[in-house]
Amino acid sequence: MSQSPAVPIDSARLSVIKLLHTADWQIGKLFGQFEPDEAAILAEARFTTIERLARLATDQGVDAILVAGDVFDAQGVADKTIHRLFHAMAGFTGPWLMIPGNHDAGLAESVWTRAFRLGAIPPNVTLCLKPEPLIVAAPALAILPAPLTQRITHADLTEWFAGAETPAGLPRIGLAHGSVQGILADGIDSSNPIAAGRAVQARLDYLALGDWHGTKQVDERCWYAGTPETDRFKANDSGQALLVELDGAGGPPRVTPIACGQYRWQIETLTLQVPSDVDQAVERIAAYGPFDVVQLDVSGQTDLAGHRRLFEAIGKARGKARSLLADLAALRLEPTDDDIADIQADGYLGEVLAELRAGQDGPDGEVARDALALLAGLLDERRAGAAR
Amino acid sequence: MKLTRLRIEQFRQFRRPLEIAALEPGLNLFTGPNEAGKSTIVAAIRAAFFERHRSGSVDELRPWGDASASPTVELEFDLGGEHCRLTKSFLHKKRCELQWGRQHLDGAEAEDRLADLLGFRHANKGVSKAEHWGIPGLLWIAQGTAHDIRDPVLHATDHLRRALNESLGAVASSGGDEVLAKVEAARNELLTASTSAPRAAYAEALKNESVLDAALQATDADIAAYRRQVDSLAALRREHAADEAEQPWRDFRAREQDAAARLTAIQDVERELAAARQQAGQFDERLRLLRSQLDNFAGQEQDARQRRAALETAREQLAEATRRAGQWQGQHAEAAARFEAARHGLRLARQEDTRRSLAAQLAELRQKARDTGARLAEAEAVNASLRELQKQAASAEIADSDVASLREQQRRLDEIRIQQAAAATRLRFALDEGQTIRIGDETVSGSSERQLVDATIIELPGLGRLAIAPGGLDLPALRRAAAELGDRQSALLQRLGLASLDAAEARHQAQRLLAGDIRAATASLKSLAPRGLDALRGECDAQLARARETENALAQLPPAPADAASLPGIAQAESAEDAARHAVEQLAGQLNQARLAAGNADTSYAAATREAAAAQAQLDVPERAARLAAANAGLTDALAQQAALAARIETLNRQVEAARPDFLKQDVERYRRSAEQHEKRFAERRDALLKLDVELQAAGALGLDDRRAEIERDLAQARRRSTELRRRAVALDHLLTLLRAKRRSLTLRLQAPLQKHLNRYLQLLFPQASLEIDENLSPGPLTRNGSQGPETGDFETLSFGAREQMGVISRLAYADLLKEAGRPTLVILDDALVHSDAARLAQMKRVLFDAATRHQILLFSCHPEKWRDLGVTARSLESLKA
Repeated sequence: MSQSPAVPIDSARLSVIKLLHTADWQIGKLFGQFEPDEAAILAEARFTTIERLARLATDQGVDAILVAGDVFDAQGVADKTIHRLFHAMAGFTGPWLMIPGNHDAGLAESVWTRAFRLGAIPPNVTLCLKPEPLIVAAPALAILPAPLTQRITHADLTEWFAGAETPAGLPRIGLAHGSVQGILADGIDSSNPIAAGRAVQARLDYLALGDWHGTKQVDERCWYAGTPETDRFKANDSGQALLVELDGAGGPPRVTPIACGQYRWQIETLTLQVPSDVDQAVERIAAYGPFDVVQLDVSGQTDLAGHRRLFEAIGKARGKARSLLADLAALRLEPTDDDIADIQADGYLGEVLAELRAGQDGPDGEVARDALALLAGLLDERRAGAAR
Repeated sequence: MKLTRLRIEQFRQFRRPLEIAALEPGLNLFTGPNEAGKSTIVAAIRAAFFERHRSGSVDELRPWGDASASPTVELEFDLGGEHCRLTKSFLHKKRCELQWGRQHLDGAEAEDRLADLLGFRHANKGVSKAEHWGIPGLLWIAQGTAHDIRDPVLHATDHLRRALNESLGAVASSGGDEVLAKVEAARNELLTASTSAPRAAYAEALKNESVLDAALQATDADIAAYRRQVDSLAALRREHAADEAEQPWRDFRAREQDAAARLTAIQDVERELAAARQQAGQFDERLRLLRSQLDNFAGQEQDARQRRAALETAREQLAEATRRAGQWQGQHAEAAARFEAARHGLRLARQEDTRRSLAAQLAELRQKARDTGARLAEAEAVNASLRELQKQAASAEIADSDVASLREQQRRLDEIRIQQAAAATRLRFALDEGQTIRIGDETVSGSSERQLVDATIIELPGLGRLAIAPGGLDLPALRRAAAELGDRQSALLQRLGLASLDAAEARHQAQRLLAGDIRAATASLKSLAPRGLDALRGECDAQLARARETENALAQLPPAPADAASLPGIAQAESAEDAARHAVEQLAGQLNQARLAAGNADTSYAAATREAAAAQAQLDVPERAARLAAANAGLTDALAQQAALAARIETLNRQVEAARPDFLKQDVERYRRSAEQHEKRFAERRDALLKLDVELQAAGALGLDDRRAEIERDLAQARRRSTELRRRAVALDHLLTLLRAKRRSLTLRLQAPLQKHLNRYLQLLFPQASLEIDENLSPGPLTRNGSQGPETGDFETLSFGAREQMGVISRLAYADLLKEAGRPTLVILDDALVHSDAARLAQMKRVLFDAATRHQILLFSCHPEKWRDLGVTARSLESLKA
């Protein structure tokens, strides 16, 4: 929050300014939907990605890093987490310019006041807690921040940008966190509104936004950076940061998304109809690697053998992929006559099997399917035991 | 299966071969007493099928003491449309051959083939046991086991099922029960068997989930509280800043000071007012004094006037009182003279009266003195004679005790003398004429006798002396006692002055006579002078003296007046005197009062005179006029000053009322409090801010959201686990329910034909009865018509006999069932139905005869007479062995 005096503007104006725009780090987020070991690794990845970002900025010769809110996932993160984050940022020694978002709003008592108290914030990190222009010396910039000082606002915090006077010749960079009105899907983060076309209206060279976890261009001078490390399955184009280059002549910025995320989050939907579908599915599943975080939904139908193979494939993939969530609830078991003969489901067992098979279509289809799988498994086991 | 021939050799009691040929395809009855070998034949058939020929555990098959024997059984039978011959030798020569039609099987192969066909198993090791026997175990009833049906059926269930499945065309599961058991076990790992409540891992997962859920909610509450605190921190900071800028308490302080100043000013006025009021009070006091002074002067004058009037009145009253006293004086003097005359009259009356009474008294006294004198003379004469008697009595006196003593002493002396006489030595002598002897001191002659009580010397003159000592020992004692008594009597007589006891007795008599005379004289004297002679004498003297005194008194009376006779009586004189005295006393009282009134009037007059003088003296003081004038002037002066002061008080009072100092005081208080409140609130808020700041810092360090995220993560995991377990539990439960239902319906299908066969036999035994069959195909509860409608009871509760009968008919029903399924059947009854009564046995014979139309039955009995009406010829074992 250091207010620097005016700098040699002309020289600054002549050179290209390189900024790295990022947001929504969500530090402190945990992933309960996964097994504990996997969840721990994914939580850890959020720190390592910041380290990578810092290195990337250094490697790219970036002048400053803009962080557009939601640095922390919550106000009440542990002190240790705060320290760890700022340590992770050590790889870039240039200025970091940050605003709080809705998750880490600059409240009277917040994660930020604690960070100050803990002395965790290094001098090259500037946190903007007030809606007033910040003149940065190197690189010579006028930062117009719209920090959230409440969890949710229904007023546009960027309203004041247009009326803010900044030294002539300094690039005007807006920094805000919220939903640009009218372009995002309805109902997604509709609070904390930001008027469409704010960048132009407020004569901004660039408006760096946060809140949307996928990278998204709003207009020529306005972008959502997205989260640098994907944290959900439905976040298109996440795991990137934006390299923003200002030529100094007031022209539109050159924005380049750079992948920096470690894990690929994906939803895989497989539908099994014919026996060869199982082969394809098994192949697909076998292809998952250590950076894949997968939610696998399998539907359709298969015979016992196919079911067995699918299970084996999933079991193997779990040892290989970072995380694999498999939902086979919609997969029908259709034992063939051979299957039935094979597992010696004679007598009343055969009747039970047939009834369960038919029951898969009924109101308690899931129960019937589970029961069928169990019975088939038992019979299979028995046959295997008998074979020995 | 039909046995046609059997041959046994070296088998237990059959050391020699026993052959039974031409067995009937239906009933075959074998009879024989105990030990005849019936059970051995059955054992041989069992061994032939159940025991492996290689078995080393069949030693009991060999005859006793024949170690080298090879027990051999040879059976011929029709099975599956083929004629078969089984030859089996054990122990010493192990052999098994089966000729099946044209097929020849050896050893274990033959044994296995038969086991498969008949539905039993071989023991893996050792002797074949009941659990291996399968269907034959059920149909071949060993001795005394017909009632026991449950275990044999259990051992045969699988074989029965398999056999029956084929006949029904139904497909029982080959491993259904195994799968069912596994499913049940797996299900019961997650759900309790009885209530289907979650248990073990499932229950734990649910608990874990709910614990985490609660923890999450608690943390959420903490976070919400934390957020509220943060919000209130922001609000407090805003208010604090606003207060710091405005400082609202300063305005209140200024107003407080202003009000206080005004209050001070009006308080000065109030003090002035108080002083004026005090002065007015002093004036009032002075006016009161002056007025009282003037009143005093007026009072003095009034007093003097009144005193003069009073003096005049007193003077008039004094004159009146003096006049009235004079009047009373005259009247009193007259009354006094009258009283004196009355008194004199009374004195004279009393004197004459006295004279008369004295004269009468004198006459009476003289008479009395004369009487008393006469009585005194008589009394003195009696007294003199009494003295004489008393003197005589004194001289003749002797005490009664002395007389008694004398009499006693005499009596005892007499006794002693008698004793002495008795004890004394009697000395009788008859001396010659003229001869004397001396006995003791006495010289005796002639003839006489003496009693010698003491040692006595008898001198015989010329001859010497005889010393006689009386023999009784107590003689000396008696003599001493007699001497002592004689002394005492003499002393007493001496003291009495008497010579003897007789003299004493005479004196005693005289004394008694004198005493009587004395008592008479004394009584006479007593009547004459009850109080004694002296008193009588005094009385006489006194009467004489009083007579003399009365004479004197008469003599001293003044001489009687001339008109003594005309004098009024005493009573009359007394009354006149009393009236006169009363009158004089009354008048004296009146006079006294009048004199007192006059005195009082005089005193009053004197006082009135003094008071009038004193009052006049006050008026006559020389400076009185000057003082009266001064007091009047002072009063006028003071009244004027008082009016001026009242006007001033009114003015001041109005000023105070206009200013309302009480409200001013309240204003001061109000502004002071307002200021204080604002200051206090400001300070409190400052403290609250500090406190909240610290609290929030501390709470922030807890990492609440971190913790929440962790709990949420754990909860999601716990939910996944409990969901998985629930799905598994639901699926297993569903599967188990389904398996059980299917198995049940299958069992029902299997039970139906068995039920049919069973009922056929049952009706013969118990008309209208029905026997249920459980899922193991065992007989269950029996329902029959009792005295009070249908009665149901478990098989086990039936009597032994009934159970035996049920056991047999159940087995026959199984046989029918197996027959229908195309399985071989052979029924063996070894001494069965021995507990049946005649009626039941008759029914059972019908049953057996009926069954024998479908199965070969071998019946062994030791009671041939019971089975005579079975319609077959009994074969006696005795004859077979022969």
